[in-house]
Amino acid sequence: MISFQPTEDQKLMVESVAQFARTTLRPKIRDFEKARELPEAVRRTAHELGLGLVALPESVSGAGLGLTTAVLLEEELAWGDPSAPFALGGPGAFGLAVVELGTEEQAQKALAPFAADGAHARFGAVAWGERKPNVERAGLSTTATKKGDDWQLDGAKAYVVNADRAEHFVVFAQVDPGAGWRGVGAFLVDRGAPGLTVTERATTLGLDAASFGGLELSGVVVPASARLAGGADFDAALVRFFAKNALLVAARGVGLSRAAFEVTREYVDGRKAFGKPIGHFQAVAFTVADRAMDVDASRGLVWRAAAAWDAFARGEGSERDALLLTAQAIAFGHEAAMRCGDDGVQLHGGAGFMRDYPVEKLMRDAKQLGLCGMTAEHADQLAAAVTLGAPIDPGLVLPTPETQSAFV
Amino acid sequence: MTIEFSFSKKHLEMREGIRGLAKSVIRPQALAWDRAGGIPDEFLRNMARLATSMGSNAMTSGLGDEADGARADLADAGDRKKKVGANLFGVLAAEELSWGDPGLLLCLPGPGLGGPPVRASGTTEQKKRFFSIFGSLADDSAPLQWGAYGLTEPAAGSDVAGIRTTCRKDGKHWVLNGRKCYITNGARAAWTVIFATIDPSLGRAGHRAFVVEKGTPGFSVGRIEEKMGLRASETAELVLEDCRVPEENLLGGEEKYVSKEGFMTAMKTFDNTRPLVGAMALGIGRAAYEYTCEFVKKNYVLSRPVPRYAAIAERLARIGRSLEAARTLTWRAAWMADEGEPNAKEASMSKAMAGQAAIRACIEAIEICGAEGSIAKDHQLLEKWFRDIKVYDIFEGTGQIQRIVISKRLISDLKAF
Repeated sequence: MISFQPTEDQKLMVESVAQFARTTLRPKIRDFEKARELPEAVRRTAHELGLGLVALPESVSGAGLGLTTAVLLEEELAWGDPSAPFALGGPGAFGLAVVELGTEEQAQKALAPFAADGAHARFGAVAWGERKPNVERAGLSTTATKKGDDWQLDGAKAYVVNADRAEHFVVFAQVDPGAGWRGVGAFLVDRGAPGLTVTERATTLGLDAASFGGLELSGVVVPASARLAGGADFDAALVRFFAKNALLVAARGVGLSRAAFEVTREYVDGRKAFGKPIGHFQAVAFTVADRAMDVDASRGLVWRAAAAWDAFARGEGSERDALLLTAQAIAFGHEAAMRCGDDGVQLHGGAGFMRDYPVEKLMRDAKQLGLCGMTAEHADQLAAAVTLGAPIDPGLVLPTPETQSAFV
Repeated sequence: MTIEFSFSKKHLEMREGIRGLAKSVIRPQALAWDRAGGIPDEFLRNMARLATSMGSNAMTSGLGDEADGARADLADAGDRKKKVGANLFGVLAAEELSWGDPGLLLCLPGPGLGGPPVRASGTTEQKKRFFSIFGSLADDSAPLQWGAYGLTEPAAGSDVAGIRTTCRKDGKHWVLNGRKCYITNGARAAWTVIFATIDPSLGRAGHRAFVVEKGTPGFSVGRIEEKMGLRASETAELVLEDCRVPEENLLGGEEKYVSKEGFMTAMKTFDNTRPLVGAMALGIGRAAYEYTCEFVKKNYVLSRPVPRYAAIAERLARIGRSLEAARTLTWRAAWMADEGEPNAKEASMSKAMAGQAAIRACIEAIEICGAEGSIAKDHQLLEKWFRDIKVYDIFEGTGQIQRIVISKRLISDLKAF
C-alpha cells in the first residue's frame, strides 16, 4: 500500500525528539555555534533518547528501527540545529560503514563501545577524502601495504567529520595501486594507534558545532582482522554505504529546509512594507509557496528512499530501486535546502544578513550540508548510472579527490 | 498505518495491464489521432468499457449501481476501489494512460470534469438524471455520451469570480446569456455544467451552476479551437443566447446558494482533479524521459566518463528526480483525499510541481536528442509531447493560481492579492 502515515510508535519518537529540538537545541543554536560544539549535558540527553543507534541492526547493539524511523528523527534534530546530528556523538557514519563493509562479527565488536556507559562522549568517524588527487594513478594516495599478517597504512586523510573527537575510525586506503577506484580497502583504526595524528580542525562556512578535520597516518600498523572486507562485492557495499549515509544527511537537509521555511514564513507575516505584510505581495508569497513545495517534495523523496531500503531488508523490492530513489532524494534534498536557505535570507532583506536572525546560519549550513555525505552532482551521476544501466563506477559516483570532495 | 510505498500484487497486475495497453494499443495510434484531430468512437467505446471494468469510478455518481448503470455488470469493481483507494487508483491509472496518449484520456466518454460538481453538489434526483445516460456503454447501438464543465469565459479564466455569463429567473426557467470558451468535449457533450451570475457585482455570492443539456433552446456551439497540442481532444466554445434552462437543472437547488456555496462548487471540483491532472502531466513527462534515456543509451558510449556524457547524465538525473518528486506529491494528495483529509494545498502543490517537471522533461528531451528530437514519426513522439504538455501548467488552474492557493494556506490573513 501507499501511505504517508507514520506508525504510532514513530509519532511518539518524533514528538520526543521534536521536543528536545524545540526546547534544548533551537534556543541555544548561537551558543553552540560560538562554542563550536554541543555541551556534554545536551549530548547526554540525546544519548538517553537513543538517537545514535536508531537505524543500526539489533545484532550490533542498534535499535533495529530501520531507515524510515531514522530519517524522521534526523529531520527533527536538524530542524532544531542542522549541526546537531553531526555533533551529538555516537557512531554516525562509522556505524554505517562497519555494518555495510564489515562482517557481522567485526560490526558487533566495533559498535559495542557505543552502547556502553559514557557513550554520549564517544564519537566514530570515517576517513575517506584526500586533499589532492593522485597524479600518478587513479585511486587514493593513502596506501595499505601488507606486512606479514598485518597492514601498514601511510598517507593523509581530509574532510573527516568529527576527526578530532573520534576514538574509532574507518580509514580508506589503496590496497591495489593498479586497480584504481576498484582497488580501495577499508580498515578499522583506533585513535591511539602509533603513527596516527589528528590534524587541525578546519574553520568552515557553516555547521560550526560539527567538526571537520583530517588524519595523518605514518606507518600505522593494524592486524588483518581490522580490514573490513565482508560481503562478496566490496564496491557495491561501498556505494551502498555512501548512499545510505548521504540519505541520512539529506534527511537533515529536510529539517534545515523546514526550519528556514518556517522562520521565513513567520517573518513575511510580520514584516510590513507599503502598508501591508510583505507576504501579501505575490512575489514574496509565491517564493514562500515554492519553498513549501521544496520542503514537502524533498521529505517525500527521503521517505520513499528510506522505505525502499527497509522494504529491501525485508526481502521486497530491489536494491536498484532503493539506490535510485536514494540518489534522487540526496540531489533534490541538497538543492532544495540551499534554495530554502537562500530565499530565506532574501525575503528577510537586510535583516537576513544579520546574525540577530537564525536564517543566515541556516543558509551557510545548507551549503555546508550539501557538501556532506555525497554532493548533488555525485548523486545525479549515480542516479543516471542506475537509470541507464551503466556500470556503477566508484570513481564517478563517489566524492573522490579526482572529482569533487565531500565531508564524510 | 505506516510509511509505505509498495503495491499489492493485484494492484501491480492492474497497472501492468494498463501499461501493456498503453504501449501496444494506444501509443502506436497517438500520432494519427493527433493529425486527424479526433479518436474513432469505436475505439473510445472499447476503452471506456475497459476503464470501467478496471474499477474506474469516473463514470459513476457515487450513488451506486441503481443511479449509475455503467458499472452494474461489474461485481468486483467496488472491492478493488476500496482496497486501492479511489483517488490513488485514479492518479496511477491516469499516469499510465497519459503515457500512452494524453489526448485519449480527455476524449473518453463519461461525465468528465462535469462529474465532480454534479457528484459534490447535485441533488439525489439530479445525480440520477445526469449520470444515468452513461449506463448504456455495453450497448453497441447506443451513442457515446459525454459531460462537460463550462467555467472559463473569454474575459475570465483564472479569475473565476469575474465571470459575466448572466442568469435570471423567469417563471419556472432560468434565462442564461453569455459565452464559455475552451470547453473540453463541449460540442459533443450531452450536458455541460455552466457557471453564471445573477449579478456580477455580487462576486462569488452571485454565482449559480446549471446543468445545461444539449438541444436546450438558445444553447449552441461556437467555434472548435485549433490548439498547440492535445489535438485529438475537442475544445469548443459554447454560446448561450436567452438560453432557457428548466429550474430543476439548477445544481443543488435554490437553497444551495444562500451562502457562497455556489462558488465553492466550482472550487471543490479542483481538489480532486488537480492531482489527477498532475499525474497525467507526469505520464507525458515520463514518456519523454524514458524515450530520451533509450536514445542516450543507443547513441553514446556509456562506460566512458567523458565530459559530454557526464553533462547529459546530470540533465537526465535532474529530470528523473523532478518527476519522481512530483509523483510523490501527487500520491500524497490522492492519499489524503482517500483518507478524507482536506488537501487543497497539497493538491495544488502536486499539480504545480508535476506540470513544471513534465514540461522541463519534454523540452530537455528534444534538446538532448538533438535535431532528431523534433522530427515526427510513428514511434518518435517527442515533438507531440512537447506540444501536448504545455497546457498542463495552464488548465485546471495555472501554475500561478496553484501558488495563490498554496500561499493563502501558508500566509496569515491573506484573502486576496
